[in-house]
Amino acid sequence: MSLGRVAVIASAQTELRPAWRDAQHIDLISAVVTSVFKGTGLSLDDVDFIIDSGSDVLDGRSISNCGFLGALGAHHKEEARVEEDGLWSALYGVNKIRSGASSIGLIVAYSKPSESNVEAYWSSQCEPFYQRPVGFGQRAASGMQAQRYLGAHGVSERDLAELVAKRWADAARYGKVDIDSAPDADAVLASGDAATPLKRLMLARPVDGAVAVLLANEEVAMRYNGAPVFITGMGNAMDSHAFGSRAAGKLASCEAAAAMAYKKAGWSGAKAEIAEVSATSAVSELMAIEALGLAEAGMGIAATRDSKLRINQSGGALPADPIMATGLIRLANAAKQLSRPEIYGGEAASRAVVHGAGGVAMQSNCVFTLEV
Amino acid sequence: MTKSSGRHVGIVGVGQTHHSRRRTDVSQAGLVREAVNRALADAKLTMEDIDSVVVASGPVLFAAVNQPEKWVVDAIGARGKPVVRVTSGGGAGFAGALAGYYQVAGGYSDRTLVVAYDKLSEGQLQYSISTLYDPFWGREFAVGIMGFSAAYWRARMDVLGHTEEAAAMVSVKNHKNAFSNPYAHFKKEVTVEEVMASKPLCWPIKLLDVPPISDGAAAVVLASENVAAKSTDRPAWIQGIAYCCEADNAPERSMLLSEPLAIAARHVYRAAGITNPRRQFDVVEVQEPYSCFELSYYESLGLCPPGEAAALIASGATQLDGDIPVNPSGGTMGANPIGAVGLIRLIEAATQVMGRSECHQIKDAKLALVQSGGGWANLRGCAVLSA
Repeated sequence: MSLGRVAVIASAQTELRPAWRDAQHIDLISAVVTSVFKGTGLSLDDVDFIIDSGSDVLDGRSISNCGFLGALGAHHKEEARVEEDGLWSALYGVNKIRSGASSIGLIVAYSKPSESNVEAYWSSQCEPFYQRPVGFGQRAASGMQAQRYLGAHGVSERDLAELVAKRWADAARYGKVDIDSAPDADAVLASGDAATPLKRLMLARPVDGAVAVLLANEEVAMRYNGAPVFITGMGNAMDSHAFGSRAAGKLASCEAAAAMAYKKAGWSGAKAEIAEVSATSAVSELMAIEALGLAEAGMGIAATRDSKLRINQSGGALPADPIMATGLIRLANAAKQLSRPEIYGGEAASRAVVHGAGGVAMQSNCVFTLEV
Repeated sequence: MTKSSGRHVGIVGVGQTHHSRRRTDVSQAGLVREAVNRALADAKLTMEDIDSVVVASGPVLFAAVNQPEKWVVDAIGARGKPVVRVTSGGGAGFAGALAGYYQVAGGYSDRTLVVAYDKLSEGQLQYSISTLYDPFWGREFAVGIMGFSAAYWRARMDVLGHTEEAAAMVSVKNHKNAFSNPYAHFKKEVTVEEVMASKPLCWPIKLLDVPPISDGAAAVVLASENVAAKSTDRPAWIQGIAYCCEADNAPERSMLLSEPLAIAARHVYRAAGITNPRRQFDVVEVQEPYSCFELSYYESLGLCPPGEAAALIASGATQLDGDIPVNPSGGTMGANPIGAVGLIRLIEAATQVMGRSECHQIKDAKLALVQSGGGWANLRGCAVLSA
């Protein structure tokens, strides 16, 4: 018996804004759940299951999925909550469809950090006895990670600033991100210290938003009158909780996740034409690029300047990080770049790699390979 | 939904902690490790043999560590492996097993370890649950989960004529069964009169209708058909599993029958070939957060016709020596580490069909039904296990 193939057949995303002041969680969720079916010939009635990603801590609500079931379109369906980035929800959904138990699944991820204390979201993930009392958290970890990486590889702060400026410009153009004016490299360098050596704009900016992705088995995907994008490999891995005991200067768990995904896909990072990568800072984006095999160690910055390899055409996570939805947005964007290259003005591509991350200093990583 | 059309998935190893009101000798991570060690030893495996791990726990506010799987990973030796956490309130353990089932069934892994836990002594339980309600419309008058559950039971009493004694009989049965459960920590036999005379907490729910609050963890190893034999020659095969929901604000929501459970049962029974649950099942394990819920499950699961749960418990059929024993383990009345309970029920049912229950082995048990649930009684699921 062979397991079936699974495709992304549609996606929908709200605009990503620093604060959606006039919309509640359920408004953002229902906006994407209702619009994801447009043009597919399918409706909510066709969906076998819903899997969603959100955070009780960010939502300020226990079992927060419970309050959003109506908006999620889950009433009387099977629903699951993965309390990790939405790319892990997609992984669950793919397995469910591959098993043959279901044919169509809706994956939803959302975030409204503007209503929450993001620093507390991260510090509450830290080990309660030894890490929290010394104030360890996402910013401290990002700063240390950046110092070690920059020291080892001779990447300058201006290199990082130029990367950030490019990401913001791309996000304004392609990412459906609310940006009045994108900062240039000088503005990034002048944005103030956040976690030495990182400036404020070198850290991923939390934003509000929601995303929905419709997954289907091959039979449904081939009948659907569009361009299905097949998920050909998946992997995930989690590193040690103790930041100090992780390998310095690289993301070992991202490498492990990528190895799993590439093994199933039968190709490696060097063959990828499109990459959508998550990040908590400009430096961790470079580390992720290297872990995904898109560049040699320390050469991530060069890969971001490579015009043939299209990394984060959506702008990536630096200008817009809807925590818990960021990786699923990468999946939606990469699928769109494969199925509708005309929007991006580039040549048609056939292979993409997608990355999601979770935890302080990206302790956990998830990787998908996509093909058309 | 509910069953893989390809790979079969079996439970090949189980483990749980000796649950207690308060474990001060271990952290959350240590508690999880105990259950994992026992499940791995039971499956004759080490962590090296495990392809992926699913961690399940109740709401993070219960124990004040956000995304605790990232802390637990080191304690269970799973660094570098695929680890993910699913949560679903009280049904988290069951939802974790469901996610693990699909990792194996979907070919992502050959062996998946599912571990579920809650360390309720470290948080404010009813306060945490109260944050479940809508911050603008719900929290002003909803306090914890008991008020909602009392309303549920009261509606059934009013419409069906069920009595407080019917729920008390469930409490008596489960307390009695828990007495012989080596993992239970609340061991006290009670009578219907004592339950009726116990302190009303939120009428008609009284103190002895309510399970204890516990610290505890449970773990299972799920394996595909091709590797199951390395662990045991008698796995508990999952013949169908589903976990459905109803939207909180659905105006047509019934207080009398759990519709999501009835829907899940319909799917699972079809997958497992169950046409007469009362006759076919040898044993049933349900997660009863209050005694009254076990009665509504009897009906939603088709163990008796709608409205006849009170008659079923009164008939003695669900007692250990009845024709359809429910909760020979004692259910939650012996221990209630909420996020782990769904997985504990699965373990108790699995060991029945594996022929090695440590509580009350039901003779020749071949087919078992498991129920679990969470949320405000709107997340409900069930599974069928076979020898």
